[in-house]
Amino acid sequence: MQATVLQRMDNTARRFVPFGVTLLLMLFAMTPTYIPGLSHITPMYALMAVYFWSIYRPDLLGYGATFSIGILEDLLSGTPLGSGALILLLCQRIVFSQQKFFNNKPFGIIWLAFALVAAGAGLLRWLCVGLVASSGFTPAGQMLTAYLMTVAMYPIVGGLLARAHMKLLAQS
Amino acid sequence: MRLPTGQISRFGTLKSLLQRFAFLSLIGLTFALMLIGKADTVLVERARDAVADAVTPILRVMSEPAAVVSDFVNNLRELAAIREENAELREANTRLLQWQSVAQQLESENKSLRNLTGLVPEPSATFVTARVVADTGGAFAQSILITAGQISGVRKGQVVLAGEGLVGRVMQAGQLSARVLLITDINSRIPVLVGEAGNRAILVGDNGLRPRLLFLGNKTAAAPGDKVVTSGDAEAFPPGLPIGQVARMDDGVVEVEPYVVRDKIQHVRVADYGLTGILTQQAATK
Repeated sequence: MQATVLQRMDNTARRFVPFGVTLLLMLFAMTPTYIPGLSHITPMYALMAVYFWSIYRPDLLGYGATFSIGILEDLLSGTPLGSGALILLLCQRIVFSQQKFFNNKPFGIIWLAFALVAAGAGLLRWLCVGLVASSGFTPAGQMLTAYLMTVAMYPIVGGLLARAHMKLLAQS
Repeated sequence: MRLPTGQISRFGTLKSLLQRFAFLSLIGLTFALMLIGKADTVLVERARDAVADAVTPILRVMSEPAAVVSDFVNNLRELAAIREENAELREANTRLLQWQSVAQQLESENKSLRNLTGLVPEPSATFVTARVVADTGGAFAQSILITAGQISGVRKGQVVLAGEGLVGRVMQAGQLSARVLLITDINSRIPVLVGEAGNRAILVGDNGLRPRLLFLGNKTAAAPGDKVVTSGDAEAFPPGLPIGQVARMDDGVVEVEPYVVRDKIQHVRVADYGLTGILTQQAATK
């Protein structure tokens, strides 16, 4: 059966869901939350989204899309250009290469694996920024807080992403 | 059309090769960009300005709900404490009225003394008010994006204030948006005066909540509760802008609690004092 133009447009739009949602999360991370004591540390939301889509829809979020989100994040947040994109790309590569491991694993394992990936990503970014930026290394304590918040937030963000996945991408 | 199995596997291999190539070239590109960012800061700054200008309207819409919720919560909190606050305000009002008469007296005295000495008054500052649409706080950089840029007269190096004190200074100014380097950022260095004695020091951020005082003469030069204000040295900031007060002293580390509560800034004022301490882009490259 031939798909109508509307159906085809709908399908194309749905293919952009992972990219759009990741982009939105990255921007959301930057909006002021006005939560006392939390505004100076932001979890790595973009990393969570890239990790999630790389596991569940590797076909819909390619390296190019991840790269552009990382670059945009670097440009907006004032971090050394390329450092954010680098860790997102590496995270994606690791998940892609372990596709068999992630297949049908319970959430606990996925979360644990995320904690490992995020630790590597955080450490690498800290090194990159420390070596490239003129200000040198930032205190490790801030990085650790950001990391713990990232790991703690993953179940919430992952849950929302799973909902978006089921609602918008169930048929494709 | 169905492809024969051999063709599918060849197609699959080609696809994975292409993917690997894309991955490696993009990784190479990130390293190249890091180097470019270090070598050609002007080019990268221009790119940052352009992207910030383009994204600010989106961030403005996205930051609206959080601002509404925050206002609502604040309203509720204020409503609960309205009686006590009223009593406090009445008391403060009587105290301030006394101060007002003192201030008026001093003002007239000041005026007559200025007339006697023929002092040339400093040029007054012009202000631009802007909304904070993004707080790009992370472990690596502490800056905010505001909704005013060069079109509104915002320039690199200008001083940014909120109601209670100093927020930071303009680090980049695009056409419609500007990035403000907060006093808590690891790159922030501000010459300050500490306490009533006016001991000189440098206020240095560390990406945490409380910046620290460096190069403070000796340990007795500061005590908890001492006020910290800008000194005006190096002409980057005008003298006397309130920043915060000494909060904790531990093993020679002096932490300052800023007056401006980071979580509450919704609007800021960008002040132009006509200072030349921070080099403009053109002057720097000459």
